[in-house]
Amino acid sequence: MKLSINSIEPLVMHIDLNSCFATVCQQAYRNLRGKPLVIGAYETPKAIILAPSIEAKRFGIKTGMPVYEAYELCPSLIVRQPDTGLIRDVHVKFRAICECYSPDVAPKSIDEVVIDFTHTRHVEKRDLSDVGTEIKRRLREEVGDYLKCNVGIATNRFLAKVAASLHKPDGLDSINHKNLLDVYRSISLLDLPGINVRYQARLNTQGIFTPMDFYHASFMSLKRGVFQSIVGYHWYMRLRGWEVDGIEFKRRTVGQQYALGKKTNNPRELSRILMKLCEKMGRRLRRKGYVAYGIHVGCAQADGTYWHTGRKTHHAIYTTHELYREAQYILNKRPPEPIVTRLSVHCYDIEHPVGSQATFFDMEEKKRKVAGALDTINNRYGEYTITPALMMNMDKTVIDRIAFGQAGIESGD
Amino acid sequence: MRIRTNEPVKVLTVYDPEKGRTIPHRIKWQNEVHTIRTISYYHRERRGENVYHIYHVNDGAFDFRILCDSESLSWKLEEVVDGVGA
Repeated sequence: MKLSINSIEPLVMHIDLNSCFATVCQQAYRNLRGKPLVIGAYETPKAIILAPSIEAKRFGIKTGMPVYEAYELCPSLIVRQPDTGLIRDVHVKFRAICECYSPDVAPKSIDEVVIDFTHTRHVEKRDLSDVGTEIKRRLREEVGDYLKCNVGIATNRFLAKVAASLHKPDGLDSINHKNLLDVYRSISLLDLPGINVRYQARLNTQGIFTPMDFYHASFMSLKRGVFQSIVGYHWYMRLRGWEVDGIEFKRRTVGQQYALGKKTNNPRELSRILMKLCEKMGRRLRRKGYVAYGIHVGCAQADGTYWHTGRKTHHAIYTTHELYREAQYILNKRPPEPIVTRLSVHCYDIEHPVGSQATFFDMEEKKRKVAGALDTINNRYGEYTITPALMMNMDKTVIDRIAFGQAGIESGD
Repeated sequence: MRIRTNEPVKVLTVYDPEKGRTIPHRIKWQNEVHTIRTISYYHRERRGENVYHIYHVNDGAFDFRILCDSESLSWKLEEVVDGVGA
């Protein structure tokens, strides 16, 4: 198999808000503008940095670094926690601007959006660089004057993301069949989205050290040698500008996880956290109208090990009580000694219910009606107005977070 | 300096019919009147059925985060930041 570079007109636009969490904070607080700022999971020295500002990046501060290390690089560093309400609002307004240009808008994360103009090119006839410039201007005028974004235009999502990362911050680049190889010559393997140090090592073992080597690698060497799966075929296509990532997968799991501020192996404390995770997970599951047929609990432990177990259920589960009961059953099987650093719970095999099977006893039905009533009260008076007793005094535990990855935020959330 | 609080605060607002928006104009905090120069960001947050209007404003020296409860039409000051120190 030998395939040439895709030479069609580039119609996929990737837009990436620069240093989103930090810049949004600087947008709201003018006194923090132009200063090295990081958004941490917490404001404590051991917390992990979620996003450094553009100014903090100049000191070498990176995402994933602990706050105390960042202080060593920049003693005047300002640390803040993410303002989730503010960030979600920026995302919703930013997405609304993008939706003015095409109905094919896919948020890839809280700060990334892909606009596909393939089916609307006859309506939007302008040069896409002009459209990108206009989106940048509208972002500043309609959302916030301090917000900047990178725009990348290419024939597929992968190259559009590469283009969006070429000139940060506030860049606008287009990759087409004419300049693709020049772009590959100017970047490293780790600059390619989806290539981390492990993939890089795997590519190195096959004699691939640069994006140009990667591009010149044959289809069979990628499929059989490097990736040993269909993934090799996907990379072969992707590197030549053909679309293989345009599929939106349906949701398969709903879950929550929590990195424990105070690490513990106390079963009661873990049960309380598990209950709150199940409550948050259950609220999301019910809001989306799903029921689940399986549940999975995982614990990252202080000794570096990861314990996890899943279990399928014979009946649909969806009330917080049902989810918690199943999750607690699994958690009880965990060896009690290791100290837990992160607790996660996911429900899987989710589907929209098609009517529940009648039972001899109507207790389950009653519980579901109670769950529905509790959700109605919490919707009306705010989250955690009514909670299970096990969650008492847990207001500050398992706080609201923005997940990495695909954003599923609706305007009304 | 960063002060996190949750105190009721006196706010003078102006309704702008052209923009269709109510804009805070002055805040009285710690017996001092602060005239707002810029609205850095405005957004709404829903907590239950109640909607809160959250304004991040600046008087040239301090950033204020003030919140209007749309049900009780009351104002609260949530945060004051001057950007000096962590």
